[in-house]
Amino acid sequence: MSKPDIAPRRSFLAENPSVMWFLGLLGLFTLGVTVLAEGFGLALLSTSMVKILGMTLCLCLIAVAMDVVWGYCGILSLGHFAFFGLGGYAIGMWLMYARTQGIVVESLANAPIPPTQEEINDAIATQIFGVVGSNELPLIWAFADSLFMQLLFVVLVPGLLALIFGWLAFRSRVTGVYLSILTQAMTLALSLYLFQNDSGLRGNNGLSGLQNIPGLLHLPQSTIALWFFWASAAALGLGYLFFAWLVSGKFGSVIRGIRDNEARVRFLGYHVESYKLVIFTLTAVISGLAGALYYPQAGIINPAEIAPIASIYLAVWVAIGGRGRLYGAVIGAAVVSLASSWFTGGGAPDIDLGFYTINWTDWWLVLLGLGFVAVTLFFPRGIGGLFDMLVRKP
Amino acid sequence: MTRKSLLGGLAVSTTLLAAPAFAQDCPVKVGVLHSLSGTMAISETTLKDTVLMLVDQQNAKGGLLGCEIEAVVVDPASDWPLFAEKARELLTVSEVDVIFGSWTSVSRKSALPVLEELNGLMFYPVQYEGEESSKNVFYTGAAPNQQAIPAVDYFLEELGVESFALLGTDYVYPRTTNNILDSYLKSKGIADEDIFVNYTPFGHSDWATIVSDVVALGASGKQVGVISTINGDANVGFYKELAAQGVDAADIPVVAFSVGEEELSGLDTAPLVGHLAAWNYFQSADTPENEAFIAAWHDFIGDTSRVTNDPMEAHYIGFNMWVNAVTEAGTTDVDAVRAAMWGQEFPNLTGGMAVMNANHHLSKPVLIGEIRDDGQFDIISQTEEVPGDAWTDHLPESAPLKSDWKDLGCGMYNTETATCVQMTSNY
Amino acid sequence: MRLTALLARAAALLILLACAFAMRPGAAVAQTALQPLLQEHRAELAKPSRTTIGPVISALLASDHPGMTGFLRKWEAREVYLRPEDGLFFYAEEAGDMLRLIDIDSGAAVAEVGSREVDQIRPNAGVRREVAAALVPYELNAPDPARRAEALDAIARSAEASQIAPLAASIEGETDPALKTRKERLLTLLVAQFGETKSERLDAIAGLGGDTSIEARSVLNQLTATRDGVATALPDDANIARVLEVGTDLTEAEAHDRLVAAGLAPPRQTAADLRDVLAQHIVDGHVGGVPLHQLDTTAARARAYEALEQAGTVPPRAAPDEVAQAVAAHVFYAEYLQPDPQITQAAEDALAATTRALGLYQTADLVLDGLSLASIFFLAAIGLAITFGVMGVINMAHGEFIMMGAYTGYVVQLFIPDYTVSLLIALPMAFAVTFGAGVAMERLVIRHLYKRPLETLLATFGISIALQQLAKNIFGTQARPLTAPDWLGGAITLNDIVGISTIRVAIFVLALIFLALLLYILRRTRLGLEVRAVTQNPGMAASMGIDPDRINMLTFGLGSGIAGIAGVAIGLYAQVTSEMGANYIVQSFMTVVVGGVGNVWGTLAGASLIGFLQKGIEWFNPSNTLAAQTWMVLFVILFIQFRPKGIVALKGRAAGD
Repeated sequence: MSKPDIAPRRSFLAENPSVMWFLGLLGLFTLGVTVLAEGFGLALLSTSMVKILGMTLCLCLIAVAMDVVWGYCGILSLGHFAFFGLGGYAIGMWLMYARTQGIVVESLANAPIPPTQEEINDAIATQIFGVVGSNELPLIWAFADSLFMQLLFVVLVPGLLALIFGWLAFRSRVTGVYLSILTQAMTLALSLYLFQNDSGLRGNNGLSGLQNIPGLLHLPQSTIALWFFWASAAALGLGYLFFAWLVSGKFGSVIRGIRDNEARVRFLGYHVESYKLVIFTLTAVISGLAGALYYPQAGIINPAEIAPIASIYLAVWVAIGGRGRLYGAVIGAAVVSLASSWFTGGGAPDIDLGFYTINWTDWWLVLLGLGFVAVTLFFPRGIGGLFDMLVRKP
Repeated sequence: MTRKSLLGGLAVSTTLLAAPAFAQDCPVKVGVLHSLSGTMAISETTLKDTVLMLVDQQNAKGGLLGCEIEAVVVDPASDWPLFAEKARELLTVSEVDVIFGSWTSVSRKSALPVLEELNGLMFYPVQYEGEESSKNVFYTGAAPNQQAIPAVDYFLEELGVESFALLGTDYVYPRTTNNILDSYLKSKGIADEDIFVNYTPFGHSDWATIVSDVVALGASGKQVGVISTINGDANVGFYKELAAQGVDAADIPVVAFSVGEEELSGLDTAPLVGHLAAWNYFQSADTPENEAFIAAWHDFIGDTSRVTNDPMEAHYIGFNMWVNAVTEAGTTDVDAVRAAMWGQEFPNLTGGMAVMNANHHLSKPVLIGEIRDDGQFDIISQTEEVPGDAWTDHLPESAPLKSDWKDLGCGMYNTETATCVQMTSNY
Repeated sequence: MRLTALLARAAALLILLACAFAMRPGAAVAQTALQPLLQEHRAELAKPSRTTIGPVISALLASDHPGMTGFLRKWEAREVYLRPEDGLFFYAEEAGDMLRLIDIDSGAAVAEVGSREVDQIRPNAGVRREVAAALVPYELNAPDPARRAEALDAIARSAEASQIAPLAASIEGETDPALKTRKERLLTLLVAQFGETKSERLDAIAGLGGDTSIEARSVLNQLTATRDGVATALPDDANIARVLEVGTDLTEAEAHDRLVAAGLAPPRQTAADLRDVLAQHIVDGHVGGVPLHQLDTTAARARAYEALEQAGTVPPRAAPDEVAQAVAAHVFYAEYLQPDPQITQAAEDALAATTRALGLYQTADLVLDGLSLASIFFLAAIGLAITFGVMGVINMAHGEFIMMGAYTGYVVQLFIPDYTVSLLIALPMAFAVTFGAGVAMERLVIRHLYKRPLETLLATFGISIALQQLAKNIFGTQARPLTAPDWLGGAITLNDIVGISTIRVAIFVLALIFLALLLYILRRTRLGLEVRAVTQNPGMAASMGIDPDRINMLTFGLGSGIAGIAGVAIGLYAQVTSEMGANYIVQSFMTVVVGGVGNVWGTLAGASLIGFLQKGIEWFNPSNTLAAQTWMVLFVILFIQFRPKGIVALKGRAAGD
């Protein structure tokens, strides 16, 4: 049904069998979900499950980006979820504007006198911002009616922010944990800004109803969920391929060198800052894309999504999955996020110890936290490390 | 194409096989969509327990339509997108007949599109900013005209307040409520410079400057009053600072819309005696129904120190109305139950009768209480039942709007143009 | 209705008489009973409202019944009950689950009833204020000084001209010097507002100049209160405060709105009005000859209206310059409510004298607030300054140590009800608990990760979420009370503007103590020497006979222990929840980084910078605290870009790594 991956260069794939394996598995998985889904297939997978799987694929994509910037280049960025959120906001603005425009135009069509453009704009603004007590469209919504412009912003906004921030930080030679704290401060500043009602992005409420795609309102969510699932799978496949290609060549060697000993690479004559900046910006752009695919499936985006803790969780996924190997990031993101939703969703049965009942909703985070400590201490290479052992032993 | 329809047919037949043949879909399932973890767990866990208690009580009375009621509890973990996800799961996977859930407006707005798409039914128990009426939601909490406006009237008439400080947490409920109050106060002749507005983040703790600012308002020679829409934990620091700066309720009264018995349990209330809260319910209401409710709650939770609060009463009314509506309709089918809900009556815990109106909001009495030193409230004013207003009359954009699902079949009806603006709700 | 009421009244009288006879025939001689007097105003007394109670109280007090003030005081204190079945008022006392009703006149127990059989009368704060004001003349000479003080508070809250005489008369006999000063001051305030002769008023007003108290300023501001006016020419008889210039003081649109509000000009036609008018004149799909589908622009609508206007179906619209003309034809001004220009001038002069002092005090208060916030940041970050700054260990669970300290304080208070004692125990307990937790964490986790600082960050983050959830599981999600003892409860005030709550002063002092203690430990003790040695070169230190393991353990324990104490302090002024630590962690890291790592002075500088900066930004935009925080974080990010080593950067070898 869907074959998202384009045929890549032979030699590169031959050198990296894991990429082939991954793409193959991803294709099989996509096919499997399609067959089982409600929209087209056997209806054994509920639409909510398809959405969860689609969103998980987006999380895998940002985890891959995180792995490149941290596992390969050694920058522990605690800001990539902010880029993810910015991508979501950019596409969310169009989704919200266009859907509201449809509603407004339809309701004004019954008016005795056709509405003027200003009246339509006022009505849209009131519809969108009435909730947060305003009735004017802020300046940043100037291009919200254009899907093309907003798609451009999905790439440009996170990219430019990463470029400016990265340029400032790398130029000042802020490295290591200082850079982590600085990126965390950036995330904090962004989420604080978005939390303000006056930010023009509806404050704490954020943008909602994003699952209703303008122009496609007649289609059932089961179909739309599947479309987004395919798009997410395609994006993950392409993103994986791109990053695998990027880190396999000479460029990859240089950034791994930066990770292991920055000073030595600098003495070899490489302009370390540029390499870092390229990686930081590229991964930010991919994160923004992942966010733009994620939030239409989630249905709502708000500042809580980009709170600093989300970015730390991202690092946790990558660490558990195994740094320095792209499939590790995918495994980590998929396993931890799906397990989290299974345990906190009341899916896991309670354990009755007689004197105390372990309720997973309460104890999952304790388990996750301690499990995470254990992984860092005893399996620094994460789940992916186990894979390596399996593959290499025989 | 033929293959697809074949598969579809197969799917249908398997679903039919899976369902127990011809049984009146027993058990009746009630979904509970309240956060059990994360920041909102503070408030919402209590509501989950309330619904479980109500389900137990109903089962003890013989269930519903001859079926046992089964509660399906999920945890949206204070994560707003999860509310949409879990609502979909409840409606399509667990196939619940009704959902009781949500606390914050953003969580409700997250679940709304799903409820409307799948024609679910949700009871929302918390006071909120209004400006909404969904076909698929019954709002059992207070709309602004059932809490904020009466409280301001009380300030104006009974306390003679002339200068207002509107303090709130920076999110939609305080923003919209304060907007409504701002225009209401101006219509009452309060000048712009006599309205001081401040917004703080969630969990704010540094209140010294803001409280001093409020105290300084007194220099105008006007009676100052504070309208607080400060949410959650931040209230602890706020009231501690009020106490520390010796702000006496007789000098600067504070009326809060988000502070109830539960929130006060985190505080030493002795210095706060006399400050106010406006709700539709206080635990101290002296009626036989309330006494029985509190006793049942203490029995269920196994702790006599646990308090009851307004959203619990909202669930109590909502759940019982739903049970009666289902019994009347003879089915749990959402459309039939909705029609049976309109005009449904049930006694309040504070006396009088709550009525579900065609705009999906309740008629309830408004109570104003003064904080006592034992963390309870002295009810000093109780109005007649006030019908909840989905669209406020005090904002120019909303004044012409009206919600009537029964006769107009529309939740956002513009009375000026006599058209239905939209069938879905504003999210 | 009336018959039953009469019957009830008769019954009440009978009961009263019966009581009186049964009890003590001799005592109730010439006194008329209170109950019948009250019954005359039963409705108002049973459901009192501020707007209607005034005359009732006056009437009741006018009866001169000796028990009346006593009754009003009890009534105001919510000790009076109404029995609906006979409409009588009673006092009551608790008797188990029941209430024992007490007759108002005889003081005898009448019956025991359930709480739902009688209505407790609850006068609200507005009514209570009225009562207190009405009772002032009776209370000013009360034997109990507390009651006299309350009467003075009542005057301050609701000043009336009638209070001057009794207040002036009571000053002579006042024995308490503090109350006497207060009485004299209140008299000045009253005379300034309501004095009989102009000269005494002017004197009183002049006396208020430079007085920054809220009371004084409120009197002066009331005297200088203005209302907006508009007229074709300035009225002669009005006491004009100032004339408003259109264009500078108010915009033309605002001016026009005032004209409209005053009924001096017709309202402008809004776009919506135009649309509605046009909609009423649709003929065969055309309005004024313009087809309907073309009416989706403002220009087309204007054309259609003009066509209608020419046809005479609608009134002519206002010309564009009519607004300007109307505004130009009127004068806008602000007029004093107080008619006497001499008094308003004196009040303005007095206010001007106050303004200078006011600015000074406000700045001082802002500085105090900044200092306090800085000390809170410092206290939260100081533990981190040791673990991160000195040892270089990123401890994301630092916030959870703060939380553990606060919960320790809460648990101690559960067992020890005396707040002072419990605080004295809680502080070392919190230190011990978090010291233990810190040492355990260092031994079990961090020790293995000294070579991998980024992974320390992640591992401690894991511990942080585990601890947070654990706290939720143990203590629940609700905020827990941690109450300061009374001596830390109030505020230290210089005047009505400059003041700071005692608990914040205590936190400031605590921060200073820790600063001194840390500096002492690090610079003057053997431990400090060894810590510095180990952090600079563990290998060398070990070869000198220092056990690096032990030193690391102790240092980390010390940092964590201080976080615990900080937790108690923060819990005392703010909320104790499982998430309180998370609120401080990012800020604490920023504090340490901005200040300069590896230096306690640096942390102090960082905390001061962040604290004052936040207060400063808040001052510019007092309505939005969140914006202030956003700008503060942005500033910090930029600051670090340009000064990566922080404010107090270590130089030379000490800079280490």
